[in-house]
Amino acid sequence: MVIVLIVFAILGFYDLSGFIKRREPAKVIVIYTFFMSVSLVVSLLLTADKRPSSPAEWIEWMLKMIGVVK
Amino acid sequence: MENTKISSIQLFLLNIGFLYGSTVILSPAISARNDAWLAVILGGLGGALLVWMYASIALLNPTKTLVGILKDRFGKYIGTLIAILYIWYFIHLASLVFRNFGEFIATVTFPETPMVVVIAIFAALVLYGVNSGIEVMSRLSELFVPFIPVTALITSLSLITTRDITAFLPLLEDGLAPVLNAALGFVTFPFGETIVFLMVFPHLNKKENLKKITAFSVIVFIVLSLLIFFRCITVLGQDLLYRAAFSPHLTALLIPGANVEPLIDINLLIGGGIKISICIYAAAKALSQVFGIGDYRKLVTAVTTFSVVLSVWVYENQLEMFEWAQKVWPYYSIPFQVVIPFILIILSLKKGKIMTGNY
Repeated sequence: MVIVLIVFAILGFYDLSGFIKRREPAKVIVIYTFFMSVSLVVSLLLTADKRPSSPAEWIEWMLKMIGVVK
Repeated sequence: MENTKISSIQLFLLNIGFLYGSTVILSPAISARNDAWLAVILGGLGGALLVWMYASIALLNPTKTLVGILKDRFGKYIGTLIAILYIWYFIHLASLVFRNFGEFIATVTFPETPMVVVIAIFAALVLYGVNSGIEVMSRLSELFVPFIPVTALITSLSLITTRDITAFLPLLEDGLAPVLNAALGFVTFPFGETIVFLMVFPHLNKKENLKKITAFSVIVFIVLSLLIFFRCITVLGQDLLYRAAFSPHLTALLIPGANVEPLIDINLLIGGGIKISICIYAAAKALSQVFGIGDYRKLVTAVTTFSVVLSVWVYENQLEMFEWAQKVWPYYSIPFQVVIPFILIILSLKKGKIMTGNY
């Protein structure tokens, strides 16, 4: 868990400090933060052995609902 | 759009590398067992039609990427919504290939190393490649992709003495249905996945060669797939071929007096690397175009990180990965690979007729 946090902290601080220095538009920071925070949350849950249901399961469920996959 | 151009040969090699991608470890037509070669040919014909459709869409909209075409043809709001779905699809595809790569390496090459470490190291390489731009990715493909057919030939020739050349007989023992199912799988994986190239085609320097390049790459890939199938089935036999998780690797292990197993790993590094790079490039570029961000490179780290996490999250184990790829992936892919492109080509042709006054 600590390794996951360290990796994300390094990646995030390095890129975000660059964005602030270059005065990037807010949308760049918002999109970047969105992807990184989703990744961080999911990887923390995976590390803690509390795997949330995955997109593959959602897709399979939807296709089953439509009746495409049995 | 970046002002970079790639040559015809570079696009051809990128295409071959992409098509080969994870096909080197997952044999998509293998559900047809000993008739898989028929599925490869039938699926190849269907795949050729799909790729021809993508090339036609690109030629009808020569300066636009997929995002631009979608916005043009479907209007700003619906076009943007579909573009966001495609961004998801590209990221998902990248994560699946990451997972295939990770499973393969963690199973056969470095069984003591955690899969996530293998994927993360590979992701760092991919990140560097994608940040360098499409020109550098194309040059890398020029350098590395020729190894793929060479290694396929080396492994095939090395096993020439240990073959049962009747292993693929009898023909159509279980009827035509498994062959058609496998052919559908082969159309969607890998041919339909080349929809991602609609983000790359605008960089081609000689657009008039586009159809020739794509057609030639499809032919070369089909020949390569047939060569690999016949090599594997004549060496392993149909039962073992069907049961083996990574049949080309198992085949390479059987070469007498030589250890050429790393050649399969190298092939996967090249093909998988190109496939993931193209997907992440396309996702980051589409994202930057949808949200009006000048340079796609600003988003590459975030997209790659998410793909890595998604690759670990998406399946619990290897069996789930194989089952999902075989049962769900083809149907999930059809809207992205067939339905939307088909509507796009009709709308593009209609628009073309209006522009030339023939309507």
